[in-house]
Amino acid sequence: MIRSNAQNLIRESMARFVDNEVVPKAHELDATGEFPRELFEELGRMGVFAIRYPKAKGGAGGNCVLFCTVCEELARGLMSLAATSAMQALMGTNFLFRYGSEELKEKFFHPAMRGEKVACFCLTEPEAGSDLGNASTQAVPTAGGFIINGMKTWVTNGPVADFYTVLCQTNPEKKFKGLNFFFVPADTPGLSRGKPFDLLGTRNTKICEIAFKDCFVPLDHLLGAEGQGMTNLLSILAEIRTMTAALAVGLQRAALNDSIRYARERAQFGKTIGEYQLIQAKIANMAVDLEASRLLTYKAARMVDDKLPCLAEASMAKYFATEAACRAADLSTRIFGAYAYSMEYSPQRYYRDTRFLLYGGGTHEILQTNIAKWAGL
Amino acid sequence: MDIVVLIKQVPDSTEVKLDPKTGHLLREGIGSIMNPDDRHALEAAVRLKEAQGGKVVALSMGPAQAVDIVSEAIGMGADEGILLSDSAFAGADTWATSSTLGKAIEKIAKYDLVLCGRQAIDGDTAQIGPQVAEYLGLPQVTYACDIEAARDDGTIMVKKRGEGGYEMVQCPLPAVLTVIAEMNRTRYPAIGRLIDACAERAPVQIWNAADIGAKTGEVGLAGSLTHVIRTFAPKGGRRTEMLEGDTGTVVRTLLEKLQEKHLVLPGAQAGAVGQEGKKS
Repeated sequence: MIRSNAQNLIRESMARFVDNEVVPKAHELDATGEFPRELFEELGRMGVFAIRYPKAKGGAGGNCVLFCTVCEELARGLMSLAATSAMQALMGTNFLFRYGSEELKEKFFHPAMRGEKVACFCLTEPEAGSDLGNASTQAVPTAGGFIINGMKTWVTNGPVADFYTVLCQTNPEKKFKGLNFFFVPADTPGLSRGKPFDLLGTRNTKICEIAFKDCFVPLDHLLGAEGQGMTNLLSILAEIRTMTAALAVGLQRAALNDSIRYARERAQFGKTIGEYQLIQAKIANMAVDLEASRLLTYKAARMVDDKLPCLAEASMAKYFATEAACRAADLSTRIFGAYAYSMEYSPQRYYRDTRFLLYGGGTHEILQTNIAKWAGL
Repeated sequence: MDIVVLIKQVPDSTEVKLDPKTGHLLREGIGSIMNPDDRHALEAAVRLKEAQGGKVVALSMGPAQAVDIVSEAIGMGADEGILLSDSAFAGADTWATSSTLGKAIEKIAKYDLVLCGRQAIDGDTAQIGPQVAEYLGLPQVTYACDIEAARDDGTIMVKKRGEGGYEMVQCPLPAVLTVIAEMNRTRYPAIGRLIDACAERAPVQIWNAADIGAKTGEVGLAGSLTHVIRTFAPKGGRRTEMLEGDTGTVVRTLLEKLQEKHLVLPGAQAGAVGQEGKKS
């Protein structure tokens, strides 16, 4: 029986959305730095946030390959929209979906899938970034629940979120084994949000600090079995890194496409700059980087879907694709010449947005250390 | 209300180029999309279903890869999709296409309305909708830009765009309407529905000539009333000439050239502005 290919169909559909609705607004959105509420809600109506959840439980029935396809297309249009959407579809809702009560899911998960509520994930602390075992936000058992105290920072979607999945320490002596995720609604007394950070790039991704002062949450807000927080985080780490690699692939495509278009139009000394070999070399390097990034990214995505251990492959994909995105953004600024130095042209945005990819999903300093270990060092 | 929507897969470009030697469409590097007007027809059908209930069936005719627009139609809200695909359908002119679609609609049997786009961006004939109506013996309203909910008396009120205005047409059902872009803003397909449309058990059927009871000679090239002798791109095209000089000189030169081509009356003058050659 003849059937369409889901990945092709979703890619074409998302590409049309990005070309018609995102690209024309990207420059202005980046300039205002506002949360892209309208586009976010439209993506919710399209079911984008539900893509990696099973159909029987309110999802769209997709998988990691399809999720990455969507992330890639969105990142091609506007990285901050893609990053916000990835947070909503993965880290911000994953543990609520897996461990939340039916009541919580009804009230928060399903509206989040429809884009009616914004989700986020609180992991990093001022003194605990890569060193998560040192997390000091504490959840202390009390009658009927837990009392949370502490501070989280670099909380993507933090200023606009309706609920938070927060990594807390319930027993500091146990270090990693004392870490747990808690569900905390935004209106919980004692929760306060800091001022949104003034960011270099991804300026529509709203990020801030979140402070917890004697925040009470009931027992059913503990997401997952006690002591399993780190294990649960590791269970989606490969997917987080693969998704980040897909974002980097999207940015590379945008930088490459814009560079080719410009190289075909811009003429100097009687011919287009694309006819000069030094420009051709830059385009060729970008194209090869992009192809290699794609292969690594979708290999890791397929391994996630096949439930194979793939933290190494996902980390390599994230590391390579992000470094390649940095190179692509840099090369695009060289192809555009002085115009890239103007805020009116897109290469400056790509250049700034790549920085976000360097830190999200694990710094490259940590990734390189781990990759060297996996390589046998 | 049960609605059949006719959709066509077309090249993703309005600038269709032809191979000068073969006269065939040059499709290299050009993707395929659902014809834009058909997308508006589908949106109208889905909105009517959402408001009044019923079922929407997306019907297309084309090669196997046209299944993609049928799947996309399901993503946009169609309940079922049917692709008419058979080598016997190849080379069909608009009548053979319309009568083949008509046979499939007869097989579907249960419908109140047939919607389609005004015209496809590749052929630009605008003949399919009216010919399907003729084949089925149904009333038709072309250039529909709004549809009111079906009335209890078995009619529907359609707003039809005409030259310089609109007409309100009360039309008995079943009927065929051709839809223009003004009708609505189309939605993007739902991701979950797209995934469903690609599944093994997707509500997509492929029908061949035998499935719709078509006989040899009724469909495709053999069933066509017209035959294409030659296809070619017109030679020449636009010739642009840039006029130079101050405003007055440019206006005078332009008038002379228009008079040479008998596009303005002889003796027309550039007037005070042009003669002064200062203002523009």
